[in-house]
Amino acid sequence: MKNHLVYAILALLTALAPAHLIRAQEARHPAVETKGAGPDLSGIWNARPPANAKLPELIVYFSTFGKGEPAMTPWAETFYKSAKPSFGPRSVTMEETNDPVYQCFPPGMPRVYLHPFPMQIIQLPTEVVMLFEYDHTVRHIFTDGREHPKDVDPTWMGSSIGHWEGDTLVVDTIGFNDKTWLDRIGHPHSTGLHVVERMRRPDHETLQIDFHIEDPKAYTKPIESTMFFELKPTWNIMEQVCMDNGSFLNFEKKEAVAPK
Amino acid sequence: MRNRFLGLAVLSVAVLTILPPVLAHHGTASYDTTKTVTVKGTVSDFQFSNPHVLIFMDVKDDKGNVQKWQGELTSPNHLERAGWTRTSIKVGDTITITGYTAKTGATSMWISKVILADGTPLNAGLGN
Repeated sequence: MKNHLVYAILALLTALAPAHLIRAQEARHPAVETKGAGPDLSGIWNARPPANAKLPELIVYFSTFGKGEPAMTPWAETFYKSAKPSFGPRSVTMEETNDPVYQCFPPGMPRVYLHPFPMQIIQLPTEVVMLFEYDHTVRHIFTDGREHPKDVDPTWMGSSIGHWEGDTLVVDTIGFNDKTWLDRIGHPHSTGLHVVERMRRPDHETLQIDFHIEDPKAYTKPIESTMFFELKPTWNIMEQVCMDNGSFLNFEKKEAVAPK
Repeated sequence: MRNRFLGLAVLSVAVLTILPPVLAHHGTASYDTTKTVTVKGTVSDFQFSNPHVLIFMDVKDDKGNVQKWQGELTSPNHLERAGWTRTSIKVGDTITITGYTAKTGATSMWISKVILADGTPLNAGLGN
């Protein structure tokens, strides 16, 4: 009951934010002109959960992709049961978790989107660079017309290429290793993970990313998800290093079971 | 003057868009989120670093015995955006902290509110 009132007040007060100050700051950083490309997505962006969302929906928004349980294969179910997240409804303590992120392994893509720290998009003529504050994570999305490498090296962030369809940047990513969780609550992915993102800027202060996540080894049908981001023109991406003061982190190596 | 106004505007927007601390916090399984507790004491250590800011305090109980308390906050990145600096709290300061205590019964908490000696509240920021 108290939470509803708090959210209502927050929503109202957020709506009264000084938008004219945001525009004044934006004028000092004019958008980059990119020839032959779509609109400029550059900026500092911070995830904006749905307005009026109740706490359970907020937790889902920052913990996983899609709204409910994904349709898992038996392989994925086995992994999911052995995963012990420290976040969300199945969470265990920091001492008990086997989430690799809390042993300071990289979160990878697309999981990095779920950690509520801002990210910066820098749109250049031949690539879009994404700098995530969380764990100083970097992505390069090549928009110079190249195809994926023929024998792509598996990486934590995958290999990303993008092209414009009207006002939407369509990003295709393959070439993932299998060392990351798909999300923060223990859903797995395989090296066959394929993520398609559609990124657009419906208004000046908003970025929308629609995710289409396919991984036949793990999921019997694709996972669809949408996230919104709010422009933060007065913010800078700061340093965030997991190992900085990890005295309370659990560094005993515990892996979730991932049958080959 | 303009920068200060902008800074205040940013602070007020940041403060007003703060979500409940327990929202996105990992490791909440360690804390009893059904009730809060408040303690007042003297800061013995203040670790303003990632991934989580930690406050260590000496709290006197009503018999005069000193309890060692530890309070955990979110990333200093979020706190700075909500107006904190690395010197917002100093060793020797008397502060009051409120939060969810550890399920084990240990004298540690996930902090939801900090009040300085002069009554100024510091926003505890967005959990990660």
